[in-house]
Amino acid sequence: MDGVLIPTLVSGLLLGSLYALMASGLSLIWTTLGVFNFAHGALMTVGAYFAWTVSEQLGLGLFTGFVAGIGAAVIAGVLIELLLVRPFYGNRSMMLITVMTTLAASTILERGISIIWGPRLKQLPRVVEGQVEIFGAPVSAHEALIIVLAPVVLLALWWYTGRTRSGRSLRAVGQNASSAALIGIDVPRTFSLAFGLSAALAGLTGVLLGSIRFVTPGLGTDPLVNAMIVVIFGGLGSMGATAGAAYVIGMMEALLILWLGLYWTPAVLFMALILVLVFRPNGLFGRAA
Amino acid sequence: MSRLLDVQGVRAGYATVPVLHGIDLHVGDGEAIGLFGPNGHGKTTLLHTISGLLTPTSGTILFDGQDITGAKPSAIVAAGLVQAQQGNTLFGDMGVEETLELAAFSPRARDGWQTRLEEVHSLFPRLAERRRQRAKTLSGGERQMLSIGCSMMCNPRLLILDEPTLGLSPRLKAELRDAISEIARRGVPLIVVEQDVEFLLALAGRLYLVEQGEVASEIDRDNAPDHQEIMDMYFGKQAH
Ligand SMILES: Nc1ncnc2c1ncn2[C@@H]1O[C@H](COP(=O)(O)OP(=O)(O)O)[C@@H](O)[C@H]1O
Ligand SMILES: [Mg+2]
Repeated sequence: MDGVLIPTLVSGLLLGSLYALMASGLSLIWTTLGVFNFAHGALMTVGAYFAWTVSEQLGLGLFTGFVAGIGAAVIAGVLIELLLVRPFYGNRSMMLITVMTTLAASTILERGISIIWGPRLKQLPRVVEGQVEIFGAPVSAHEALIIVLAPVVLLALWWYTGRTRSGRSLRAVGQNASSAALIGIDVPRTFSLAFGLSAALAGLTGVLLGSIRFVTPGLGTDPLVNAMIVVIFGGLGSMGATAGAAYVIGMMEALLILWLGLYWTPAVLFMALILVLVFRPNGLFGRAA
Repeated sequence: MSRLLDVQGVRAGYATVPVLHGIDLHVGDGEAIGLFGPNGHGKTTLLHTISGLLTPTSGTILFDGQDITGAKPSAIVAAGLVQAQQGNTLFGDMGVEETLELAAFSPRARDGWQTRLEEVHSLFPRLAERRRQRAKTLSGGERQMLSIGCSMMCNPRLLILDEPTLGLSPRLKAELRDAISEIARRGVPLIVVEQDVEFLLALAGRLYLVEQGEVASEIDRDNAPDHQEIMDMYFGKQAH
């Protein structure tokens, strides 16, 4: 048993890191606009494909590929905000409408990608080669990099939203848009900023993921449901709670796969989410409203 | 006196309800004016329109010689026209100091923000005592102080205060009124909405009575009506 448990926990840690990166991007938009961006996964995929084209097809190197992938995701994210979210600001049903429009964006991007890049599986090279050991379990250095990078990105975001003028303006707009406007914050521009940053995170996550999984049109949309579970599980709010929830879900998923297999894991995760929401409507770590 | 703010024939309202039916008023540079009138007659709607939260259906708003009709609220603040809105709850999860720092957001507010923060603290010492407290845990009076403090952090050329003492205890009302008088003394032009006409007369050179979305009358401090006449204006002619 011991021989399986440690590698399982390590893969849970890796999943948790992936969910933490995704969920922090989702909650950046949620806390600023009160909108769930269902195209977040598709933006990851966009990032991975552009990175692959620039780095592998054009042979411009992995770093240039990363920059191009993240850039493409940001452009797509800002376009989604401008075209599919902005027209519904102030609408009473904005949250529901944007569920539909961002889902539509997700589908369009995913289909578009399979038309442009075709069905052949692709893979990005690893940022670092070789293997390391975590608690005696062998892990590729690239996966270890993701495990280290996730908390670094989360800390950077925490610092940005807490300490910088522009980061604080995101929180202000989310908490009271008209008060924010009356101290001179450009609210629509702040919405674009939130989408742009979130898309940059999506792009980064996508390119990192593209070298441990095959780059397929479903690269980002597959883990999206679990990332959304994380955001709700964490209580739709603080960065810390969302990060905590990401690692809990990642570990649970890895252990459930070990004990129950792939087939039942999603169902049990959903059951856990429902139970948490029944007993703690503000999320696992959420405070009472 | 040159006109700092000039509101000409402004009509505005909400989706289906027109509220303002052609408002004309002005504020001179260095002047303080007061607005009063019964509840629900359009004072807040007018101030929201001036600050760009609502777009007028017709009319013109000039500020400092510039046409700001229909401009973005952020651009209006950047020009120096700043408002502390009625019942402002601000940013619930942000601390007092953090909120004040953020309020120096617009480019005109950035230089010398530390000095302005000290001014706000001298105006409202309680805000200095509660630096780290979150806005949503403040009392009504403290939140009002924070709201006015935020507006001061914006480095206003003209400051609008919409019912700054609404719902406060007499003691707090007096404290806030002293602070507002102090702001006027420091030379910041003001538009203040208040129910207490006596306070407005002590503060402002001219008062406008807003009724049913129009300016029903303009009162000059130098030939101000007496208490009974003001009460009559308020409660309408139906009393007679
Ligand atoms: N958001 C809104 N939507 C629709 N009607 C509103 C809204 N806000 C205020 N009103 C209406 O506009 C009128 C004027 O309100 P307001 O400007 O707040 O008056 P005052 O500040 O003088 O008390 C009232 O009849 C009020 O019901
Ligand atoms: Mg009002």
